[in-house]
Amino acid sequence: MTRKQARQRVNVLQGTLDMLILRTLLYGPAHGHQIGKHIQRTTNDFLQMQHGSLYPALHRLERRGWVSTKWEAAPDRNREFKYYRLTEKGRKQLVVEESQWKQMAEAVARVMWPAVEEG
Amino acid sequence: MRWWGKRDAELERELRSDLELEEEEQREHGLSAEEARHAARRAFGNEALIREQTREAWGWTKLERLLQDLRHAQRRLLRSPGFTIACVLILVIGMGATTAIFSLVNAVLLRPLPFPNSDRLVWVSQQDHSLPGVAQESLSYPDYFDWRAENHTLDGIASYVGATGTLDLKGESQRMEIQTVSSNFFRVLGVAPMLGRDFSWEEEKPGNRAVMLSYSFWQSEFGAEPGIVGRPITMNGHSYTVAGVMPKGFEFPVENPAPVLWKSIADEAEGKSPTTQQRGFDTLGMIARLRPGVTVAQAKADLSVIAGNLARQYPEDNKQYSSALVEPELAHMMGDTRPTLRVLFGAVSLVLLLVCANVAGLLLARGSRRGAEFALRTAIGASRAAIIRQLLIESLLLSLCGGGAGIALAFGLIQVLLKLMPVEIPRMENASIDGGVLVFVLVVSVVTGLLFGAFPALRLSRTEPARALCEGGRSLAGGRAQHRLHNSLVVAETAIGMVLLIGAGLLMRSFLRILDVNPGFDPKHVLTSRVAVPFDETKHNQHYLFYQQLVERISALPGVQSASAGWPLPMSSSSATVSFNIQGRPVAKGDEPSESLGLAMPRYFETMRIPLIAGRTFGEQDGLTGPPTIIVNQAFVGKYFPHENPIGQHIQVRVGDDLFEYPVREIVGVVGNIKRKGLTADFDPQYYLPYAQGLITNPYLVVRTNRDPAVMQAAIGVAVHQLDKNVPVYQASTLEQYLYKSAAQPRFQAFLLSCFAVIALALAAIGFYGLLSYMVVQRTLEIGLRMALGAQRGDVLRMIVLRGLTLALVGVGLGVAASVMLTRLISGMLFEVGSTDPVTFAATAALLLLVSVAASSAPAFRASRLDPMKTLRVQ
Repeated sequence: MTRKQARQRVNVLQGTLDMLILRTLLYGPAHGHQIGKHIQRTTNDFLQMQHGSLYPALHRLERRGWVSTKWEAAPDRNREFKYYRLTEKGRKQLVVEESQWKQMAEAVARVMWPAVEEG
Repeated sequence: MRWWGKRDAELERELRSDLELEEEEQREHGLSAEEARHAARRAFGNEALIREQTREAWGWTKLERLLQDLRHAQRRLLRSPGFTIACVLILVIGMGATTAIFSLVNAVLLRPLPFPNSDRLVWVSQQDHSLPGVAQESLSYPDYFDWRAENHTLDGIASYVGATGTLDLKGESQRMEIQTVSSNFFRVLGVAPMLGRDFSWEEEKPGNRAVMLSYSFWQSEFGAEPGIVGRPITMNGHSYTVAGVMPKGFEFPVENPAPVLWKSIADEAEGKSPTTQQRGFDTLGMIARLRPGVTVAQAKADLSVIAGNLARQYPEDNKQYSSALVEPELAHMMGDTRPTLRVLFGAVSLVLLLVCANVAGLLLARGSRRGAEFALRTAIGASRAAIIRQLLIESLLLSLCGGGAGIALAFGLIQVLLKLMPVEIPRMENASIDGGVLVFVLVVSVVTGLLFGAFPALRLSRTEPARALCEGGRSLAGGRAQHRLHNSLVVAETAIGMVLLIGAGLLMRSFLRILDVNPGFDPKHVLTSRVAVPFDETKHNQHYLFYQQLVERISALPGVQSASAGWPLPMSSSSATVSFNIQGRPVAKGDEPSESLGLAMPRYFETMRIPLIAGRTFGEQDGLTGPPTIIVNQAFVGKYFPHENPIGQHIQVRVGDDLFEYPVREIVGVVGNIKRKGLTADFDPQYYLPYAQGLITNPYLVVRTNRDPAVMQAAIGVAVHQLDKNVPVYQASTLEQYLYKSAAQPRFQAFLLSCFAVIALALAAIGFYGLLSYMVVQRTLEIGLRMALGAQRGDVLRMIVLRGLTLALVGVGLGVAASVMLTRLISGMLFEVGSTDPVTFAATAALLLLVSVAASSAPAFRASRLDPMKTLRVQ
């Protein structure tokens, strides 16, 4: 695998991670730990990521203006966490990414299970 | 910086809070505090990596990382001040020398001429086909006018010729350097006067005498008075109208001293036989401007057609000048200086290379002591690229410091160089640290930084973390490959040093040979000067009488052994070549031989101590009315009378009482040859006329004194002013100074290259010392073991010194090979010394080997003093 191909694969995964984060934030603001936990839990631990790897993605989303941040006290804990909140721009981005993902998933599905389509 | 700091702090806080939360959750699942912390960290992953990657997401991290690396590098360098100072000092020497030489090269060779579209300015001359190779000959006015009118490739062609003007300045008559120029001179150069008007074509005609003042002359002598324009000034007893003032900085031709004013050629067109009508009077320099799109070759072909026609039309004067020479003006101006500067620049580049090798060696030695540091960084995730970057930034920081300090050193060096440099190099006095030089320093700093940083960085970054960490402080990192690199650095240093030393040695030997040359006269205690007696062809008698009386008065001064006058003074730039014919050997008029002409008053040869070979020297009988006589030198006899007795032969020279009367002269004496143009020039045929019979210019007074000649100068001035208080004395000097000046170029070359060689030798010695000291430290254990097993101190000493000697031998071998190829480049600068002079080569090799042994002996001695018990215990 050339270096370029490797970078592309990382990009796909990163893009996916971005989408998952944005989707998670659709439920409301959350801090890094909650987002990581949520993704892990809802995928039934399929996406066993180290929470730490979330932060570069979160900061990237922030830099692109898809999420905004604020230090707020957690309702159940007596201290502040950095909460990420979906912005209007982020919402639009989520729609874009979702449709892209859907297209790709369908495309992959058509290749993998052609009979399903016939039936 | 603050911004990043704040962001960092916030990221830190975020990670911390989330990590704590994870920890709390783990505890709530029933883990112990300790276990919870570990679990949280596991769940989190590599914190340092997260931080790094997050920062990357912020963007701008390259700059930030650079700043961080810079800060780190700065800290590292400050932590070992001894090492840093050593490196910077070595670099400063290299960079300072390189910068100084480059600013000379820049001022002389690289800066364009200060005229608009100066690339189209060309030097023009005619080719003398009676001489072998490229031989230039000046043009005469009639030739120049024809070239100007008939060419199809030039926008303009202007003439200029040096002259002297005696001006009455502040109540004292002074002799100044001036130029006589054609009316289009300033237009060809593309510079308009800042005040007044340009010369008009009318001012080439008789009666319209005009001058253009230089800015500095206008400032110093006319108090920057704008009203001077249009007013007359008196020069050489005639009145000239001031046409204008040239802008500040305008200087052409570039000469020392610079011309103070330019006069139109009107006065050349006046008189009974004006020079503007003498086709054989070849004295004019030519500057021309090519038409846009015209090449030098096209112009040359064009002008050669004209020259060819003139040669056919006027065979008597122009037969041998049937083609033209055209060169870009800048290239022509720099002609001789180019090789010198090139060699100097080459030499200083070698010094810089040596500096690089040296600093690389230091970095390598120090780097291996940092093996543990790099291993640790690798172990915690630093990539090889990161380590290389860190090392390169350290070396760049060093080289930039060296470059900065080098500029400061160069400031001083330039002043010293300008003092030492022979004045003949045009434009050199403009050498300065300008923008171009700064860019050069920056580029050189970066290149050297990368050069001396790259090898150690590549080497050191290959550290295997596990091994290096195990070996810990024992500084064995790098191993054999690193030794090989270090060895080759020292070998390279020796080889480069060898090349520089051989170059310097050759130039030095050549210079000593030059000093050994017998010039054919005795220069000691001879004072010379000239007196600007006005020239008037109708008053020859008075003119000669003046000199007769002056020489008599000077001879009578206490402390004077003998006095006379003659022209040209050997080693002075003046000379004249005049054609002649030998009676009984008829030749066609255009084919007459010509040789160098000299003029001498009685006792000239005695005063100069030029030996008389046969016949007699000039006496009082060879005066204005005496029979026409001539004296020739040995080289003349060898060429024209190889098998005859020259005494009593007759020669007709095209110089006489009047320009158009050529008396037939009898050879009355033969004198010894003298070095006329310089100590390295060949003896050439020369003939002398009695000054009384060839009054063409003011002669040089020559006064041989018993005491320090400088003290006598004032007395001579008094003697002159007793005769006529209005004639200025100029060009006062001693013969030895002329001789000194004629050897100035080789002296300068030898001196400068010797400086480089000394630096090279010192650097090579430092290199040896550094390598072997380092080796001793590294092999302390081994040496201790050897000694414990029975090796004698002498054995250890020998082992280390032999190591140094082996490396030196390899270096010397390579250096000799390189020198054989490179010294050919300076063969043109050498006088009676071959470029592969075995004596120089052998002496240099011996010197380098000696120095290497000396430099090795200190570490070797230290090694032999090691206490085996102590070393083994410590290790």
